[in-house]
Amino acid sequence: MTTTAIQKRPRKHRDVVFPTVNAILLVVLMFVTLYPVINTVAYSFNEGTDAVRGGIGLWPRVFSLKSYEAIMADSAVYQAAWISASKTVIITLLNLFWTGMLSFALSRKEYVLRRFITLAMVLTMYVNAGLIPNYLLISKTLGLAKSYWVYIIPTMFSCFNMIVIRTYIAGLPDALVESARIDGAGDIRIYWQIIFPLCMPVMATVALFVAVGSWNSWFDTHLYCAGQKQLHSLQYLLKMKLATTQASANAAKTSTDALKSTTQTTPVTIRCAITVISTVPILIVYPFLQKYFVTGMALGSVKG
Amino acid sequence: MSLAAKKNASGPATGNKSSFFRTLGRQWQLMLMSVPILLYVLLFNYFPMWGWSNAFMDYTNMKNVAKGITPYIGLANFEWLFSRPDFFQAIRNTLAMSVINLVFGTVSSIVLAVLLNEVRNRGFKRTVQTVTYLPHFLSMVIVVSMAQNIFASNGPVNALLMNLGLTKDPIFWLGEGKYFWWLVGVINVWKEVGWNTIIYISAMTAIDPCLYEAAQIDGAGRFNRILHVTLPGIRSTFVILLIMNIGHLLEAGFEIQYLLGSGLTMDWSRTIDIFVLQYGTEKLNIGVATAAGMFKSVVAIVLLLGANFLANRLGEDTLI
Amino acid sequence: MKKLIASVLVLAMLVSVVSLLPFAATADELEPITLTVFRGDPGDQPAEDNKIYKLIEEKFGVKFQFEFLAGNLDETLGLKIFGQDYPDLFDGGNSADLIISGGALVNLLDYISPEKTPRLWAHIEPQKARLIEKDENGNDVLYIIPNYGLTDGDQIVNEVNGPAFFIQKQVLAWAGYPQIHTLNEYFDLIERFIAENPTDKNGTPYIGFDILCEDWRHFCLINPVQHLMGRPNDGEVLIDVSTNDFHTETFIDKPYAKAYYKKLNEEFQKGLISRDTFVMNYDQYIAQLSSGTVLGMFDQTWDFGNATAALKDAGMDENTYVALGLVYDPEYVDGKVIEEHYVNGTVPNVRRGFGISVTSPYAERIVAMWEEMLSNEWQLLFNWGIEGEDYYVENGRLLMTEEQYNNRNDNTWKLQNRALAFWESSPKKQGWIMDGPYAGNAWDPANQPEIVLGLMNAYDQDFLSHYGFSKFADFVNPPIELAPYGEAWQIDYTPVDVEHTDFLNIQDQRLPELIMCAPEEFDAKWDAFVEEITPSATAFGDYMQKAVLEEAAKVLGNE
Repeated sequence: MTTTAIQKRPRKHRDVVFPTVNAILLVVLMFVTLYPVINTVAYSFNEGTDAVRGGIGLWPRVFSLKSYEAIMADSAVYQAAWISASKTVIITLLNLFWTGMLSFALSRKEYVLRRFITLAMVLTMYVNAGLIPNYLLISKTLGLAKSYWVYIIPTMFSCFNMIVIRTYIAGLPDALVESARIDGAGDIRIYWQIIFPLCMPVMATVALFVAVGSWNSWFDTHLYCAGQKQLHSLQYLLKMKLATTQASANAAKTSTDALKSTTQTTPVTIRCAITVISTVPILIVYPFLQKYFVTGMALGSVKG
Repeated sequence: MSLAAKKNASGPATGNKSSFFRTLGRQWQLMLMSVPILLYVLLFNYFPMWGWSNAFMDYTNMKNVAKGITPYIGLANFEWLFSRPDFFQAIRNTLAMSVINLVFGTVSSIVLAVLLNEVRNRGFKRTVQTVTYLPHFLSMVIVVSMAQNIFASNGPVNALLMNLGLTKDPIFWLGEGKYFWWLVGVINVWKEVGWNTIIYISAMTAIDPCLYEAAQIDGAGRFNRILHVTLPGIRSTFVILLIMNIGHLLEAGFEIQYLLGSGLTMDWSRTIDIFVLQYGTEKLNIGVATAAGMFKSVVAIVLLLGANFLANRLGEDTLI
Repeated sequence: MKKLIASVLVLAMLVSVVSLLPFAATADELEPITLTVFRGDPGDQPAEDNKIYKLIEEKFGVKFQFEFLAGNLDETLGLKIFGQDYPDLFDGGNSADLIISGGALVNLLDYISPEKTPRLWAHIEPQKARLIEKDENGNDVLYIIPNYGLTDGDQIVNEVNGPAFFIQKQVLAWAGYPQIHTLNEYFDLIERFIAENPTDKNGTPYIGFDILCEDWRHFCLINPVQHLMGRPNDGEVLIDVSTNDFHTETFIDKPYAKAYYKKLNEEFQKGLISRDTFVMNYDQYIAQLSSGTVLGMFDQTWDFGNATAALKDAGMDENTYVALGLVYDPEYVDGKVIEEHYVNGTVPNVRRGFGISVTSPYAERIVAMWEEMLSNEWQLLFNWGIEGEDYYVENGRLLMTEEQYNNRNDNTWKLQNRALAFWESSPKKQGWIMDGPYAGNAWDPANQPEIVLGLMNAYDQDFLSHYGFSKFADFVNPPIELAPYGEAWQIDYTPVDVEHTDFLNIQDQRLPELIMCAPEEFDAKWDAFVEEITPSATAFGDYMQKAVLEEAAKVLGNE
């Protein structure tokens, strides 16, 4: 309704110039950011030995589906995709559930523990005990290694997302909460009935952050489930393929016999094909979340 | 803020202990929503902090470490770190690249968000948004590898500059240290601008449409609308992110520098994380690695609280 | 409506949690056993229906659960040590020293003896002076049986697989197939070729000489001097093997090293070396070689296998490379004539391969399995595959069709038909088959004379015939006897790790600068370089001197 109101006004000179310039700018930007993506796709559809020669731009030079066939022939990919997808869904829901409530509680200025808890949360972003104590906690103390739960339990909350939601809630009119409170509603009800539905744009944003973070994570698999191939995630498989190109920092410290057999690098085409395969699911899900935060909610209508 | 809330908020400050607990008791629902997570972070984030004790121990002899013998050596690990001129160089590089990333990243994503906000055609808006965030999903290995082709002596960037007559000979972008920080900044913007925009775009959805209408009626032009409605609308998001990122100034990562850097640019490319990787992690010298981590954490907290305090003084939203 | 959203959210959460409960249960079955295996390098999980693993399971009742390296090796090993999370079979890759000093591995000598395990004993016996070490209590210990380098019969050298100066075959052909032995001859030839042929037939300018500097592959930049001085690969030190003092020194800071980098500086001024070579990543390097425009480089053959394959694939045989063993011209080394030794005697890959971890209950069973696997039948299975499927036999000779041989380069095929993930780190027979019906064949199909000859295409055969050679290894001297200390890069230098890191960092930084600097600045810059690197070079060199003597004493003491 806002947009229509604006469009009804008579157009001035700059109302034509600006949108045109803006559109051109954005199209250029699209090309610049799209180039590496298309380039990756082009490589993934190129024949492997030929691709080694480099110089492929926006279109494969020698078209071949071999890389995709090689990946699809590996049954591990399907299992890994299922692991990645399922953990992503669960982690996203859990994060929204806990982080949303916490953000609301910490946005209440009257909450007496607010500053203390906020500080405790914020500091988690800046203090890091180091890899080994964390590893020992999760692997030994809690015994989560080698199980699916290691993907879920340590990643149920992130302070950054709490801040994002809290900032959004702080921007909502206070009267919403006050009037509900006068009606006798408790905080939990106020959150779920009034605040949460208004938070769809920010929830969609956070859902995207969490989902992408979880989908892209490989380090947890590497640390805790590397020996459990039924628990491997898709990104872990991708990372493994990429790792073969970088090899270990002192690989020069081994006999040439051994190097001959172990430093076979993964063809660049396979690396690209896996990148494409692991990105497509996000592309499919994205529009469903995007419609919330690009279009936004008609705030005015609920405020009345 | 409403009157009722103010009254509640002032409660614990003026009252005695028992009134604090009475208020707390009344707020059991808020506690139910927040204390479980508090316990969660105590376990997952604070309990492992015992690991900081490693910073004061000697981890250099693996045979002893395996037997559980890690002698207490006081501040020796810190002294070693600060005795290395290249550690200070790493701090300088880290700060420089962080600041460049922060400025480039923030400005570019806000500009893009504003431009997108001005697009009327919903389909176009969504297309641009979708396309620009795609590079976020390419691994750094792939992105840096492309950048190395693009900035090579015979790459497209030099070709463009030479065609435009801006330079006679190709510029050695990748081999001269003075360009390194800026290249990292440019590549990060290239990879992340669309992604970083998401948070601002979502913040803009919270702007009351009535404000645009009011501005329109007041005869404000597009530029004024952006200046007086859009930007103030994302102000608190901007400030909060800024405070957070200031705390992260010692985190410039290592992957992009590691991949893009070479011997020629080492003096400009080595970050704290690379230094720690080379002299701590890869030698399993947990003592040095932890000491560096502690140093980073302490600096981060000081920066964070400083920025938060400053924001508070300036009447901006605060993180804590 | 809002209630609905909330309850759907909660419900969805519960449902997904419950539906995944089965994942939590991980039951290990005891019979047959599953061995957990860690490999210190990245790799692919073998296919479920891999035929060799199936045979192993049938015969030994053993299944494998592989973990490959995805992150940083040292960090990963560190976590395993601190968490005491050891796999049954533990390959620490190139950092096995960490898990050995971390006490992760059992002493194999408790399980191996001439009586109990005759094959394993016979396998290590010839090299046992090198392999068996003393622990801190003075006991004999052997933690890892080398995965490579314990060979039978005469050393097989068909091609130079290690370090060398490489040159495109077309350059030699253009010059009338000359013999090139010295640094000056090499660069003169490239200069003359480029002067007459500045570009290839597509008009792309030729690059005279490439120097790959990326990350650990910087050996292309920092290693050549020792070879120019007439020694095979000892890593970063030059060792005088003419006396039993084994004088050991870092070579990069010595005057004879200056000659090489000065030469490179001259070639850089002449345009033979491009500055972009110093910032190239590995993919770019391989792409450049594959385009056929790089005339020469210092490298190791295995490091650019992809490029060779791409060139052959494109029918550009004249752009593939010959390995040359260059030495300094006498003018650089006080008139001394240096004898070339690029190829060393067979090097046991000491402390590389599987160890058995102290927490594994299966040490006995694993050793018994290795013992059985060292039989000719199993070795044939691992090396050649299944007769009739993967190879055929004619008159007692093991042979492969071209298709069968090419399969061995197909990754998907390998995951289904070879047990590489296990076998690469296990004890194995190499060299020649010494007994049984197939005696006289090579263990590795890639070394079988009929196959080597059969693979050589017409261009290469013609090329060699101009020299009167039968194989490409004829361009260099036959292998020199392995020095008593082995090859010095095998020595664990953990105690001087920090100095060694400094030592390498300074070279990475300064050597490219030296090559690119203005000629008149070279001497001053070189002196500054030497001054900067001396502390770390001295620390590292002194340590290596001590360590080399200790290693040599192990072998010499027993003679």
